[in-house]
Amino acid sequence: MFKNLIKESTGKSPWLFHINAGSCNGCDIELVSVLTPRYDAERLGFKLTGSPRHADIVVVTGPVTAQSLDRVLRTISQVPEPRCIVTMGSCPQSGNVFRGSYAIAGPLSKYVHVDVDVAGCTPKPEAVIDGLALATKILAEKRGQME
Amino acid sequence: MALILQALRYLVYVLVFPGFLFCFMTGLLLCGIDRKLVARMQKRVGPPILQPFYDFFKLCGKETIVPAAANRTVFLLAPLVGLAALVVIQLFIPVFRFSAFNSIADVIVILYLLLIPALSVIMGGAASGSPYAGVGLSREMVTILSCELPLLLVLLAIGKVVGTALGTGICFSLSKIVDYQMAHGSLLGKLSMIPAAVAFLLVIPGETGNHPFDAAEAETEICEGPLAEYSGAPLGVYKLSHAVKMLTMTSLFVALFLGGIGTGIENLMFQLGLSGGAAGAVAFLLEILVLFLLCAVLTFLTISVVHAVTARLRIEQLFKYYWTVVAGLALISLVLAWYGL
Repeated sequence: MFKNLIKESTGKSPWLFHINAGSCNGCDIELVSVLTPRYDAERLGFKLTGSPRHADIVVVTGPVTAQSLDRVLRTISQVPEPRCIVTMGSCPQSGNVFRGSYAIAGPLSKYVHVDVDVAGCTPKPEAVIDGLALATKILAEKRGQME
Repeated sequence: MALILQALRYLVYVLVFPGFLFCFMTGLLLCGIDRKLVARMQKRVGPPILQPFYDFFKLCGKETIVPAAANRTVFLLAPLVGLAALVVIQLFIPVFRFSAFNSIADVIVILYLLLIPALSVIMGGAASGSPYAGVGLSREMVTILSCELPLLLVLLAIGKVVGTALGTGICFSLSKIVDYQMAHGSLLGKLSMIPAAVAFLLVIPGETGNHPFDAAEAETEICEGPLAEYSGAPLGVYKLSHAVKMLTMTSLFVALFLGGIGTGIENLMFQLGLSGGAAGAVAFLLEILVLFLLCAVLTFLTISVVHAVTARLRIEQLFKYYWTVVAGLALISLVLAWYGL
């Protein structure tokens, strides 16, 4: 019963941590707008945390520049299991307009397992909430498979 | 036999009411109500009332990472010490007429015990070995230092008022304060106690570390300060302690300032011709409900409204505010109490 309670709760209380991997700031602003009164993602339990240790879902924005790659991977490895990685915008997914640049180390899926991709430049807040809701479902499943 | 029964009764006190289970349920519920109310004031739908319960159980199911630089024992034990201290305070605070252990404790003990949760945050943060925690715990120290002076002055004023009336000079016994209010009406009705009550209400958000006095755990600038390295169940215990502290501070206010109003439920049921064990139990449950509602109203006034309308203060502004405005109010109250008003 207790195990079931934890699994249920994991799907209802996803805390976000946001990593900017060389983003142009467009996606960062859109992610914050998801938490504003208009879209209010807190009604689904989403909360922006300040420390990767508190997070369940890591949101990565930006094309993963060569400079930021090491930091992104180190930060992701600090997030306790079960965790989900969501890429936001087209940059971490494909490189977007920066594709082929010498300064870009992405896409992110070359280095870590990415659970959800939210495409768009920038994605609409509705699309972001949709992607995050999908990530919460994956999170609860991952919790169910643990132990 | 009698000894075993006594031991069982104390066990129920510690584990169920007014101990751990009661603190757990009402504390997290208060926290949920607070989050919902803040959301409604910001024109949001807000999280479900049970959201803190989901958060707590989720954190119980997460991996607990202990950093390589941390002192493992202190890092894992500190949150439990803080929570235990809060549960002990709750055992001493009377619920209207009922109290588990009030005859052996006075206000000074509660003042000491209130320091322990803050100390557990400081110890846990220091043991985690993170620079963010270092900044956070130095701010936490300043915060408790700021809150302590006004709180002490408020308690001195209360002790003086009750002590003068009882002819003992100054009185710190919590049970005597409540008994005095039963006989003479609530302390809030006295002119000299009104500034003290306001000062106590202003101390509540500082003690619980809520907006705008959350410089120690500023998540946007120092990654939640002392909690930066915590994950999983220990983090959940800290979040629980934070929620229980709201209950502790608000129910302490009810006991110190509103104790004399009573609920009158017992009398009402007697007039309706209901008496005996079952009616007494129902009356007792209703009194607990009244206490919870009072705590919820106080949480709304002192934590939710303040959270919704203010921005975070810098640490030196916080210190200045508490040692001038709030301590000043408490001092006025103390002077008035000295002149017997």
